[in-house]
Amino acid sequence: MNKNDIKLIIIILIIAIMILIVIAISDNNKNTKKALIYYDNNLIKTIDLNVEETQEYTVEGYNGEVKIIVENGKIKVDEENSPLHLCSKQGFIEKNYESIVCLPNKIIIKITSDSQEQYDTIIR
Amino acid sequence: MEIKKISRLAMLLAISVTLNIIESFLPIFNGYIPGFKIGLANIVILIVIYVYNFKDVLIISILRVFLVGILRTGLFSPSFFFSLSGSILSIITMYLAKKYTKLSIIGVSILGSISHTIGQIIMAIIFYNLNMIYYMAFALIFSIPTGILIGFLAKEIKKTLDTSIEWQNN
Amino acid sequence: MAKKRKFKKGVLPKLLILLIGFLIIIFLIICLLKKISTPKYKEYTKSLNYMDTVIDIKLYTTNEKQANTALEEIEKIYKHYHELTDRYNAYDGINNIYTINTTQEVKKLEIERDLYNILDYGINWYYKSNGLLDINVGNLTNLWKQYRDNNNGIPSNDELFKISGLDIKNIVLYDDNQILTGNVNIDLGALAKGYATEVVHHYLNSIGLDNYLINAGGTVLAGKNIDSQKFKVGIQDPDNSASILKDGNKDLTLKVSNKVITSSGGYERFYEYDGVRYHHIIDPNTKMPANNMKSVSVITDNAMLGDALSTTLFLMSIETGQEFVKQFDGVEVIWYSNDNEIIKTPGISKYE
Repeated sequence: MNKNDIKLIIIILIIAIMILIVIAISDNNKNTKKALIYYDNNLIKTIDLNVEETQEYTVEGYNGEVKIIVENGKIKVDEENSPLHLCSKQGFIEKNYESIVCLPNKIIIKITSDSQEQYDTIIR
Repeated sequence: MEIKKISRLAMLLAISVTLNIIESFLPIFNGYIPGFKIGLANIVILIVIYVYNFKDVLIISILRVFLVGILRTGLFSPSFFFSLSGSILSIITMYLAKKYTKLSIIGVSILGSISHTIGQIIMAIIFYNLNMIYYMAFALIFSIPTGILIGFLAKEIKKTLDTSIEWQNN
Repeated sequence: MAKKRKFKKGVLPKLLILLIGFLIIIFLIICLLKKISTPKYKEYTKSLNYMDTVIDIKLYTTNEKQANTALEEIEKIYKHYHELTDRYNAYDGINNIYTINTTQEVKKLEIERDLYNILDYGINWYYKSNGLLDINVGNLTNLWKQYRDNNNGIPSNDELFKISGLDIKNIVLYDDNQILTGNVNIDLGALAKGYATEVVHHYLNSIGLDNYLINAGGTVLAGKNIDSQKFKVGIQDPDNSASILKDGNKDLTLKVSNKVITSSGGYERFYEYDGVRYHHIIDPNTKMPANNMKSVSVITDNAMLGDALSTTLFLMSIETGQEFVKQFDGVEVIWYSNDNEIIKTPGISKYE
């Protein structure tokens, strides 16, 4: 082994460490959580859940307006017109395998997130 | 080509194939990180690079890939192409490094190890389109100890052989 | 060739740097190639709402056209079986369960082959399950649904036991395409999702699409995952929709590929009265919601079998179920008992 070999090794280590640093930096700011809203099997709205303040949305359901409330990482149906009000009673959901299903209004709300999830799917 | 040289190259080829197969039995690196190998067969390739010319290395190298393909991994399987592209890139790099730099056989061996991995990564991207950046960083680091080990072994073996064989006597 | 090479001294360090530069450029080209080339395996997803449940479809393929055709075709299959097995709505041009149940006249009604096959499968399962999985319980589920929708009280024993027409023998099938009406009230809720999912399973196999994950409520159809990994499936806690079943203190995760997981429990369509939860899986013997366990999950190769089996096991005591599953090859089961205990068949360890 001569001096040039040592230089080579040092250069390789520097490149490797630079790559790892770049990966570490670029990986950090990536955690988007969204709610997908479907009406009659079609995606009608995507809502970003990473919000600071409480937000209100209204979508058109089968029986009229469906009022949706978004809080930091959570989403719920606040008001809707259906016989049993099951989905407004359900309250907030926040995990990516949870969903709100408003059968009478043909509305489904699901959560997706880009971050590495422990599960591919949840059976119920 | 002269008979002595042909028979020596044939023997070296046989040894490199054997080393490759022996290495596949070693459980140390198998399975932990796919693709990371010590690369024992590279010892032979290094020696050939140092004692014969580029054309010979190319032939030995490609024949080795084909033989290993037939014997172990399967001809024209993904790992065959991985190996082919890795080997060719690695001998080109090692040859250039040997010819144009002041690196010792150990430095050449490290570069060979790195370029072998890069050649495989190129194929992996063509076949699977995987995200290989993580892999790249670790491959670089990993190539240092394996490169040193292989380079050292090649140096010692070549030294021993040099005393008993006149390589270039055709 | 035997000549020693002569090196020009000052040039060599530069060449060394050039060489390393060359490697870096190769690396950058690789990164670039990766960026430009669109990912070969793309995920194609669709959420459907049929059979009272959300059906999440994920297909992974390199072929966008194939994916879109497959998504459409899968939707068609679920829609088709949804319409055939719907108890509450009629659809133009088909005789479905609603038509069968609401035809008062005793006559032979012509039905589609697909519906005939599910009914036939259901009748077979009645005998296989010793009468526990009964598809002729529409009158009973109707009564419970009435109470559930009003969210008030539970039916009395008198009401429950005076329901007539619950005999499986009242379902009479003819000639591969007819059923005798007038005396039946059929509920295919326990079979329809699994049956349709198995049809989808066959379809995906027939077009050679291997990488998929379909979650149809209590039925998960897992194909191969893309990166030679297995799909990780969690089981939801029936008591708390935001948490996953745990075995001891570690999450119960099933790692599967090319398998079907089906689950039955008091997850959906339940109501509470006097602090007791009444769910929708009714035991035909007691005529009450089954109370043998909190949930049961089954790993099989076939969604049709899995769905029927998980419902049957839910209607049995855990001990009886452990004996019952022995007749099925390659079937593994996880029970979640009323005391929050996890009981597994030995083969489950293969999937943990």
